[in-house]
Amino acid sequence: MQERYAYYPGCLASLSQKELDSSTRAIAAKLDVELIDMPSVTCCGAGDIHEAKPDYHLHLSARILGQAERSGAEVLLTICNVCTLNLRQANSKLQNDPAELARVNDNLKATGIGGYNGGVDVRHLLWEVSQGEGYDRFKSVATRSLEGLKVAPFYGCQILRPAKMLGFEDPDRPQSLERLIEACGAEAIDYPAKIKCCGFPIVLAREQVALGELVQPLQQATEAGADVMVTPCPLCHLSLDAWQKKASDHAGADFKIPVLHLAQLLGAAAGLDEQTLKFRRHITRLDDSVKGKLRLPSVVGR
Amino acid sequence: MEDRSHLTTLKGAYDHKMMEVTLRVRRYAGEGARAHTETYTVDVPVTATLLDCLDEIKDKQDGTLAFRKSCRMAVCGSCGMRMDGGAVLACKTAMKPFVDAGHTVTVSPMGNLPVIKDLVVDMAPFWSKIRAIKPYLDTGGAKAPEKEWRVTPVQGHLVSKEALCILCGCCVSECISMESDPDFLGPAALAKAYRFVGDVRDGDTRARLKDLSGAHGIWDCTRCYFCNQRCPKGVDPRDAIAKLGAEAFREGLTRDEGARHAKVFVNSAHKGGFLRETELVPKTIGPVAAITQIPFALQLARAGKVPNPLAPHKAKDNAEVKRLWKLLESQAPKQKERANSGAPIDGTES
Ligand code: SF4
Ligand code: SF4
Ligand code: FES
Repeated sequence: MQERYAYYPGCLASLSQKELDSSTRAIAAKLDVELIDMPSVTCCGAGDIHEAKPDYHLHLSARILGQAERSGAEVLLTICNVCTLNLRQANSKLQNDPAELARVNDNLKATGIGGYNGGVDVRHLLWEVSQGEGYDRFKSVATRSLEGLKVAPFYGCQILRPAKMLGFEDPDRPQSLERLIEACGAEAIDYPAKIKCCGFPIVLAREQVALGELVQPLQQATEAGADVMVTPCPLCHLSLDAWQKKASDHAGADFKIPVLHLAQLLGAAAGLDEQTLKFRRHITRLDDSVKGKLRLPSVVGR
Repeated sequence: MEDRSHLTTLKGAYDHKMMEVTLRVRRYAGEGARAHTETYTVDVPVTATLLDCLDEIKDKQDGTLAFRKSCRMAVCGSCGMRMDGGAVLACKTAMKPFVDAGHTVTVSPMGNLPVIKDLVVDMAPFWSKIRAIKPYLDTGGAKAPEKEWRVTPVQGHLVSKEALCILCGCCVSECISMESDPDFLGPAALAKAYRFVGDVRDGDTRARLKDLSGAHGIWDCTRCYFCNQRCPKGVDPRDAIAKLGAEAFREGLTRDEGARHAKVFVNSAHKGGFLRETELVPKTIGPVAAITQIPFALQLARAGKVPNPLAPHKAKDNAEVKRLWKLLESQAPKQKERANSGAPIDGTES
């Protein structure tokens, strides 16, 4: 764990998933960690720019990484799987290919953009708090036990695979979310689809295919008796939460499982309230029994 | 063990240590039968692979166990199967680490393909998808060169990873989009497609990309990266699919919903800095289909999930990103690089 991070919320937490941003800032403050804002960064391109215009993706990433470097931080902190993989893929290329780094820097210079020296690591919040000092710090602030809450961890794809780009843990048998769920005093539910896909990348272009993918984790988590799901990725969150009704219709089921951002779960255990965690912004509502198990201070939103 | 002490130069080569391996194997006798799991324990050298263990079972314990194999050296692509739910080549998987960890592995047939018997799957759907992408060179009517196509090492390297494919099917086994859409061409066929699209001698690029851009093609991929994770040869099929997407863009083939989705991202970075999510729905699925999304969009808006379109968020210093975009577009190759069919590349006849 670092004392200060260059904080990259990405476009979802900046625009439509503001509850993730506020929860992250609050939990960072609890952990006594400084988040440095990078005010002029763009979207990472979410795999789409990477696919359509790979060179543009590389340069946009270098621009973001350069800003992180100039902030003085050694680590850029992400709170999204897709940002994590995208920036790590670009970073790995820039750090391991001096000719590419030089070419990219020439182009950045020619357009009046600050360069990048390859000195920043990209890490997800999940990795920082699920082991080592970060974990110890979290344990010490997780004073509100969520005992009795059954949580289905949903990792999503791009924080596990490809392992050679991410490499934090065994992509087939990850344990970091489980470790944190238990640190919150809650119970981690096991189910096979926790490492599978939420369908988000194709939910607009290939809705039927995507819904077929999304049904798996929702169904299995529900059948395993989970009260809520938790995910480290705002795109997975959007799929699991906002497309849940559509997934229900697709499967002829009636899923009603609230989905928490990782930072919200950590925040609840650290004693933060609805004002900060903003569960009211979710499409799939938390019912009273779940609110009770999350032990939110009594004045909760709608 | 027989006495080989006279073999002084090879001393030690034969006295390998043995270990005991226990395997749970999914058995299925064929249509109409019920699948079940059987447990076997075999005595094998410490260097044994999963395939060695299966051979030992078949030779000494149960001759009815069915699995495919041939080369025993990760070249023929026959022995793909699942171990603990993930596809591997049996002949490339050493068992010692599992024995040391005290873990009993479960072996089952690959996913996304029909099971014929035990660990043997029907590869017919796999082959038909490979055939569907026209897995051979089409020079597009170009006159064959007098001597040979000149391909520089750099040009050859464009498809070097994709050329490593041994058609084992491990990537297909856990492909999430194929679970949901069995007609999806899938990672192996698409990696093979890039092997030809990226080949500087191939002249059928545009037609190939047009076919691949339609239903069940490149834009069906949900980027789960299971294929990269599973491929035992480092082909990285997902990366090949991304390269196909980039080639399709270069060719201006952006009518598919998937390509339109990507286009919104490309444009939003330099026009608005951040992704303009409000534009995503109409631009991706077209204005007519977008109307059916309106109730859904309203639901999102009520929860504050849709940013106000009248106050578009602008990442600061947007102008510099715009300049960057223009510069890169001016540098980008407009056409696919083609092989030299005659004159020597470096001016010297080899
Ligand atoms: S990345 Fe795409 S092709 Fe590869 S396994 Fe996932 S869905 Fe299939
Ligand atoms: S891409 Fe890899 S996993 Fe897929 S068939 Fe080829 S060698 Fe096997
Ligand atoms: S037996 Fe040939 S690849 Fe395993």
